[in-house]
Amino acid sequence: MKLTRNKTFKTFADPLWQNNPISIQVLGICSALAVTVQMNTALVMALALTFVISFSNLTVSILRNSIPGNVRIIFELSIISTLVIIADQVLQAFMYDISRQLSVFVGLIITNCIVMGRAETFAMSNKPFISFADGLGNGLGYGGVLVLVAFFRELLGSGKLFGYDIVPESFYAAGYENMGFMLLAPAAFIIIGLLVWLQKTIMNK
Amino acid sequence: MSDYRKSFMSVGILCVVCSLLITTASTSLRGHQLRNMQLDRQKNLLRSVSLIDEQKQYLAEEIESIYRDNIRSFYADSDGRLLEATEETAGKLPIYLYMPEDQILAYIVPIDAQGLWGKIHGYLAIDNDGSTITGFTVYRHQETPGLGGEIERQWFQKNFEGKKIVDRDGNFVSVGIARGAVEHRVPEERQIHYVDGIGGATLTGRFLESSLKDILKEYEPVSVRFRKQMPLKTTE
Repeated sequence: MKLTRNKTFKTFADPLWQNNPISIQVLGICSALAVTVQMNTALVMALALTFVISFSNLTVSILRNSIPGNVRIIFELSIISTLVIIADQVLQAFMYDISRQLSVFVGLIITNCIVMGRAETFAMSNKPFISFADGLGNGLGYGGVLVLVAFFRELLGSGKLFGYDIVPESFYAAGYENMGFMLLAPAAFIIIGLLVWLQKTIMNK
Repeated sequence: MSDYRKSFMSVGILCVVCSLLITTASTSLRGHQLRNMQLDRQKNLLRSVSLIDEQKQYLAEEIESIYRDNIRSFYADSDGRLLEATEETAGKLPIYLYMPEDQILAYIVPIDAQGLWGKIHGYLAIDNDGSTITGFTVYRHQETPGLGGEIERQWFQKNFEGKKIVDRDGNFVSVGIARGAVEHRVPEERQIHYVDGIGGATLTGRFLESSLKDILKEYEPVSVRFRKQMPLKTTE
């Protein structure tokens, strides 16, 4: 009981549901459309973003008292870019195929509003540990939606999950067909829209 | 210290620290990345002769062993004769042979073509009849994702299979990229020399088409030897 009332835990849990960066704040939509055709890419993207946002929050928060106010955006951007480049290099070294599929979108984490937004609004005015928790929460909140969208898109669009066949052959034999539309970006829009609707309905109860 | 000096100092320190971090990450991971790139090239080369299954995942060692067992690397001189990779190769054309045993089943031409935004790198495999394309793959390009970038997609590459680079009289014609679907755009007797183009990527198609023509023309002496079944090695 005590854990859930803890301020750090609240900071972590809030963006997971109550204040989700994608479904409530509607940030980071661009990458959510692009990388959610398959579970693999969505999961790796979620992890990369979570890594970047937690450590950028942590670093910015540690340095917050020595960052001169007039150049703070430059500071935040440099820290974020450095982390993104490191994440990209690691992906290229150890997950080459996935990094090819993600192509520019790992690099574009730099411009993801969520990362910059958390650094500017939260990490600049809070202590390191709680900022790290906030980054982790926002990263996972973003990643959760990504994975959920990818789940529907991959399952309905190609009958697979993580590249493994899920829809049995007998379905196809009986006339079932994959929805090609799910593989296109507009499908992600529709799924995100439905998720927002669902979440708002549950929250308003 | 004035505010300005403080800002400049801190930004300076930040820059040095960030560059050090990036340099460390990139140099220490370089080895892995180069190996991945080489594997990716080998994989694409194997794909051009359909030696690996698209749907399956392969371990690095599997790719390397399939490559070792089937592919041999040579250089071609201006007469189309093949030289071992160990001989003097300056100015000669690199070429790969798909020969699981002593018989050559296909030859593979490395593609280094001009695209709209940069180079397009890939492989084009031609059957041992010297005229039928068996596969085309792309492993690196800078075309716009979703438009010219479609050249890396299966549907576009599969398109090339079975197309002829010579006409019925044996004249070299290369392979063209139609503006749209071949069956609507190209007269029937010439359809065998054209592949379907990519919607919204007319320029990528045009550049790739003309580069392919130049490259295949360079390799014509080799192709002619295959067509006429002339000996390929200098020693024979």
